[in-house]
Amino acid sequence: MFNYFFFQISFVENYIFFFFSLVLIFSAFSIITVQNPIYSVLFLVLNFLTASGLLFLLECEFLALLFIIIYVGAIAVLFLFVIMMLDLKILSTSKDIFKYLPVGSFIGGAFFLLVTNIILDEFSLNSYFSCSLGLDFVNLYTNWYSNIDYFTDIQAIGQLLYTHYVIQFLIAGIILLLAVLGSVSLTMNNESQQIKKQMFFKQISRNNKNILLF
Amino acid sequence: MNNLIILQNLVIIPELFLGICIIYLLLYSSIISTHKTYPLIQNLLLKLVILSLIFCMFLLYNDSFLLTDINLFFTNSFILDYLSFFAKITTVIFSICCLIMIQNYIKDHKLNQFEYLIIILISILGFLLLCSANDFLTAYLAIEVQSLSFYIMAAFKKNSSFSVEAGLKYFVLGSFSSALLLFGISLLYGALGTFNFDDINSLFLSLTPGTLGDATLIDLKDINEDNLKTGIFEFEPAMVLFSLVLVLISLFFKLAVAPLHVWSPDVYENSPTSSTIFFAVISKLSILVLLLRIFNISHLHAFFYNWRYFIVGLAVLSVLAGTFAAIEQRKLKSLLAYSSVSHIGYILISFSAGTIEGIQSLYFYIIIYMLAGLCVWSIFLLLRIKAVYQQKANKDLTDLTLLYKSNNFISFCFSTVLFSIAGFPPLIGFFAKLGIFLSAIETSMYFVATIAILTSVISTFYYIRIIKIMYFEKVIVSHLFMPLNFIQSFIIICVFFLLIYLFINPTLLYLLSYKLSLLSFI
Repeated sequence: MFNYFFFQISFVENYIFFFFSLVLIFSAFSIITVQNPIYSVLFLVLNFLTASGLLFLLECEFLALLFIIIYVGAIAVLFLFVIMMLDLKILSTSKDIFKYLPVGSFIGGAFFLLVTNIILDEFSLNSYFSCSLGLDFVNLYTNWYSNIDYFTDIQAIGQLLYTHYVIQFLIAGIILLLAVLGSVSLTMNNESQQIKKQMFFKQISRNNKNILLF
Repeated sequence: MNNLIILQNLVIIPELFLGICIIYLLLYSSIISTHKTYPLIQNLLLKLVILSLIFCMFLLYNDSFLLTDINLFFTNSFILDYLSFFAKITTVIFSICCLIMIQNYIKDHKLNQFEYLIIILISILGFLLLCSANDFLTAYLAIEVQSLSFYIMAAFKKNSSFSVEAGLKYFVLGSFSSALLLFGISLLYGALGTFNFDDINSLFLSLTPGTLGDATLIDLKDINEDNLKTGIFEFEPAMVLFSLVLVLISLFFKLAVAPLHVWSPDVYENSPTSSTIFFAVISKLSILVLLLRIFNISHLHAFFYNWRYFIVGLAVLSVLAGTFAAIEQRKLKSLLAYSSVSHIGYILISFSAGTIEGIQSLYFYIIIYMLAGLCVWSIFLLLRIKAVYQQKANKDLTDLTLLYKSNNFISFCFSTVLFSIAGFPPLIGFFAKLGIFLSAIETSMYFVATIAILTSVISTFYYIRIIKIMYFEKVIVSHLFMPLNFIQSFIIICVFFLLIYLFINPTLLYLLSYKLSLLSFI
């Protein structure tokens, strides 16, 4: 009964995994193909989100949260701000994809081969049960202790951080405080509240000829 | 070891006190200064900062009864021994003096944002943490605290584009060197499996300096099986060497040693002088303490057989570069910056000697350097020209013409301190340099000692030129200066008499530095 239940869960997990992967591939493809750079950045955000979803499925919670906090929260938003500040008009209606195709496909192909090699080394086909697609790879290495004594990443890191490394944690907090203080005090401009003054020569030099400018 | 903050092991209480003070002062000043009338609270806040540092000093002194043995806390990442005790007390005393000195400068140059003083306080907290850091992680974080606050302090005078340039330059180069430090630490962790100085110490305890220089892997395994009895223990010495070189480069950047010194004259000259006094006087000691902790106390100098000559070469290079570049300078600030580069060169000569006498003369020299630097920089800060002051923030050498007529005693102090830095015999600076040269000769670095002695003769030229400008310049018109207030002149006179007294009774300093150097070799 339990086995069957477990099987069901892993079955559902597989479908979620495929869903996230498909969305990931789709959004990664759309980043480089959509015309509007803002849409492109938004697809990048979607890409990071789905990647962190995949990491959640693999029980790397800490890494997944880092993905969301750092990539989505900081970097993608930074990109978005940069694009908004640059004020790009949609100029290139047809991107020159073929210009970058050889180098890009070479790098992509090399990376794909590398990843495939690693997967085929480390995983093997499970002969006992398979999902409908028949691509049910199982990790050869299973840490059974971690399966019995279940302990998430965040719990482990938190327990270390708040006990053994509490002093480093406090120093990191001071660094963050310093960053806030520094960036606020360096960018805040107290003298920018300019007082509106009369400009005499402008007033005097006004006449009926230079009022209306076309 | 204890893992949590419990009352039994609160040796960290001075740092905790300072951190809590920072947060309270921040809250206090942000509430007060956003009042409707926008009052200026800079003077008040300065006094509060000095007060909290004085209390912090008392708390530090309170730890002295713990010094009977070496105390390790927070899973060995925090140490309280005599070295850290001494370095912390010295740092706090010197930063109190510097804070008293910068009072007028802040007022004149309208550095009116209260964040400035709080950032200075955070940098002092970083120094205190760095002095007692016992692993690479804590050391890196402490270096990050102090260097981040230094970048902000360099760029703080926002209406001056010089200051902004200095801050940007310092930030880019400094963060690059911090990244190198982090890279080195991660490689070291990969090689040794630990970054705790205590663990590294017990790994390499029985190794004398230089034994692992050309060692292959097999040699190393034999050494470990014979001496350490830790069983088979493999790592790549080349990897450790590489990571140590990265760490060394980064620390040398922070100390402004010769090929990596290029940032320092620019940053010193362009940033506001109230920040420069901190860069020049305080920043060197705790980084030297870290350097000694890495290489002497945790016995990683075992890897530096051939690289010792690399450090000696850098030391000689920085002595030469500092001296010959300082001759050309017309601005007082950049002259002092180059002279500090050459002083770090002398310190590194005694560091690379590797003997107890070498380390002793290192401590001796750094104390004298800090005292003289405090005196010189505070005189530099306090000489405020009456007439052209508002337009000019920087001082040429010619602004000091005929200082002895307008302010006789301060010019006497200034020239005495300059004689001491140059190493004239009846002053304590002579003994400091003597110790360096003797320790170089003892380890048969005759050539290095010869070059250093000759260069120090050359360096007296530009120190004496300042004295000549103050006393013997044939001009009719000179500048008038603003009067000094009581406490500032009191501190200058104290340092002045200390430099004379230490010549009459140098035993005080010798005993202190011998105690520190013996502790570095345990």
